[in-house]
Amino acid sequence: MKMATAATRRYIRRFMPMMFAYVAVLFACVWAIRHWHPIGLQLFVLSVLPALPIIGAIAVIGLYLVEETDEFLRQQAASCMLFGTGVLLSVATVYGFLVNGGAVEADPELFLWVFPLWCFSWGAAQRVISLRDHLAVRGA
Amino acid sequence: MINRLRVLRAERAWSQQDLAERLEVSRQSVNAIETGRYDPSLPLAFKIADLFGMAIEDIFTNPAKGAE
Repeated sequence: MKMATAATRRYIRRFMPMMFAYVAVLFACVWAIRHWHPIGLQLFVLSVLPALPIIGAIAVIGLYLVEETDEFLRQQAASCMLFGTGVLLSVATVYGFLVNGGAVEADPELFLWVFPLWCFSWGAAQRVISLRDHLAVRGA
Repeated sequence: MINRLRVLRAERAWSQQDLAERLEVSRQSVNAIETGRYDPSLPLAFKIADLFGMAIEDIFTNPAKGAE
C-alpha cells in the first residue's frame, strides 16, 4: 500500500540532510568558538552558521506545502503547522510577561528552543490527527 | 458535506485505496471525504464526478438544500 506521497518522500529526502548538517555545523562551531576564542566578524559568522541549516529546514517545510498535490494532506499539514505556531506564540507571550513582571530571569538561550518547540507542537498535532484518521478508517 | 461516495465505491467493489489510486490522492483523503470531514475542492469534485460518470450534485448533497 502506497502511504507517502511523492512530495512527502521529497520532503524527507531534503529534511534529513538539513538536520545532519545542523548537528555537524553546531558541533564544529561550538568547538571552534571554545578552542580558538574568535572575536569580531569571525565570532559573528561562527555563531550564526548553525542557524543556516535550520533556515534551510524551514524552507524545505515550505517547499513541501507548495509541492504537495494531495489537497487534504496539504490542508492537514498547514493546520498542524498553524497549531504549532499558536503554541509557540502562546508560550512566548506567557514567558514575555513572566520576564516583564520579574517572575523569571530572561534567558537568551531560550530562543534556541523556538524551532524545536514549533516542530514538536506541529508533530503532536499531526500525531493526534493521524490517530483520529486511523480510528475513522477502522470505523468505516 | 454529505455524499454518496461510499455507496458508489461499494457498487464497484473498490476499496478506499483503489479509489484513491484512481483519483491520484491519498487513502486518507478518500476516507476524509467519505466521512464528511473534508470537502474536496472543485477540481477534485469534478475529478470524482468524471470517474463515476455523474454530475457533482448527483454525488455531493448541496449543503444549502440539506439531505433529501
